[in-house]
Amino acid sequence: MRFVDEFRDAELGRALAEEIHATVEPERHYKIMEVCGGHTHAIYKYGVDDLLPSNVEFVHGPGCPVCVIPMGRVDDGIALAREPGVIFTCFGDMLRVPGSTETLLDAKAQGADVRIVYSPLDALRIAKENPGREVVFFAIGFETTAPSTALTLRRAKAEGARNFSVICSHVTIVPPLRALLESPEVRLDGFIGPGHVATVIGARPFQFIPEQYGKPLAISGFEPLDVLQSVLMVLRQLVEARAEVENQYARVVPWEGNPRALEIMDEVFTLRDRFEWRGLGFISESALRLSDDYAEWDAEERFAVPDVRVADPKACQCGEVLRGVIKPWECKVFGTACTPERPIGTCMVSSEGACAAYYNYGRFAREREVV
Amino acid sequence: MTDCVAAHGCITCGDEAIPMRVAIVDSERGLALCSDAEGRRSSVETALVEPVQPGELLLVHAGTALARAPGSQPAESAAVGETAP
Repeated sequence: MRFVDEFRDAELGRALAEEIHATVEPERHYKIMEVCGGHTHAIYKYGVDDLLPSNVEFVHGPGCPVCVIPMGRVDDGIALAREPGVIFTCFGDMLRVPGSTETLLDAKAQGADVRIVYSPLDALRIAKENPGREVVFFAIGFETTAPSTALTLRRAKAEGARNFSVICSHVTIVPPLRALLESPEVRLDGFIGPGHVATVIGARPFQFIPEQYGKPLAISGFEPLDVLQSVLMVLRQLVEARAEVENQYARVVPWEGNPRALEIMDEVFTLRDRFEWRGLGFISESALRLSDDYAEWDAEERFAVPDVRVADPKACQCGEVLRGVIKPWECKVFGTACTPERPIGTCMVSSEGACAAYYNYGRFAREREVV
Repeated sequence: MTDCVAAHGCITCGDEAIPMRVAIVDSERGLALCSDAEGRRSSVETALVEPVQPGELLLVHAGTALARAPGSQPAESAAVGETAP
């Protein structure tokens, strides 16, 4: 397919890899965080890390929407799904994310009406088809997904869909990046920026990274050549002692983002004072709730949401993986007690989670290395 | 639509948009019927990229078109990799 195949060209990939090898200074070690789970998935799926010099290390960031949802929030969703008369709708991965005692899939097996949707619009359609039922949509994701929820809520309001509501767990990307940069346990040299978040919010919001922390960042597309080229852009900045926001994904990402998306998000959402992130704890103004104009469609206003706080299981080290402190395979339960089929932690649930991506692809390369 | 199979990823659960081709436009409702690379079709919100035309390639995430996919080649991409203005 056009715009996909040409960004997977092996010859161009080899040429880029050679350029990267020629650029790095051999005595330096480079730690580059790919913020987005989509990049983590691409890196392992296409073996991008195998093409890099051994002194260039990827650190996996917190940009996997499912992975950062805390256990308590899953419990809140399950409590809503068990409300009489409720049809609870969510994206597929959320079904398998463990709460403190069960998953939404368990609740479904026990009789709760939980349905997978591919978009919030599907959830609204279910509401219109079931006027006698309450339909709740579990909204998760970063700024890539939030406009979709916002547009659906605007449609629900215009159509007067009173039996539709949203439990809003949308998060924003800048606050966790700032938290990571402030953390003494994480040392990073540069960033591969999230291409599709930036399609919505633009490249501008990432300027604080070079300006305040002196680290380079390249907004990147999601094909293997995009990632390789972004790595090269970050390495060149490091070698030349520059720190800027560069836009490798300029074919899609405008500097100022999508103004229509920002406008609808501003209308429908407002910042929460704070929100709990898995592995990162509570971060101020890092998540969205519905604005007062949309309070009528807020499931947290309509139902008694328990607002559960649950500590992660001791065996699970998702928090350390999400902070880039350990690699997926360094977790005690990786690939044994915790697998994509029976995940303990969120990072093993989503294909964008570092643990699942590594389990599905990367471990084979590592096994070859070990042997 | 895309299955929720971990090995193939899922356009809604992840944070990534996929290219979809516009087949039919319903401008009154702000929707377009689009198909992905495997020919699977679904309704897509077009409010963020309107107006759209049949045949255009859109980047779609969670049922919403976030941007148009433009016609750059990888070799051109190096040239258009921009620094902040």
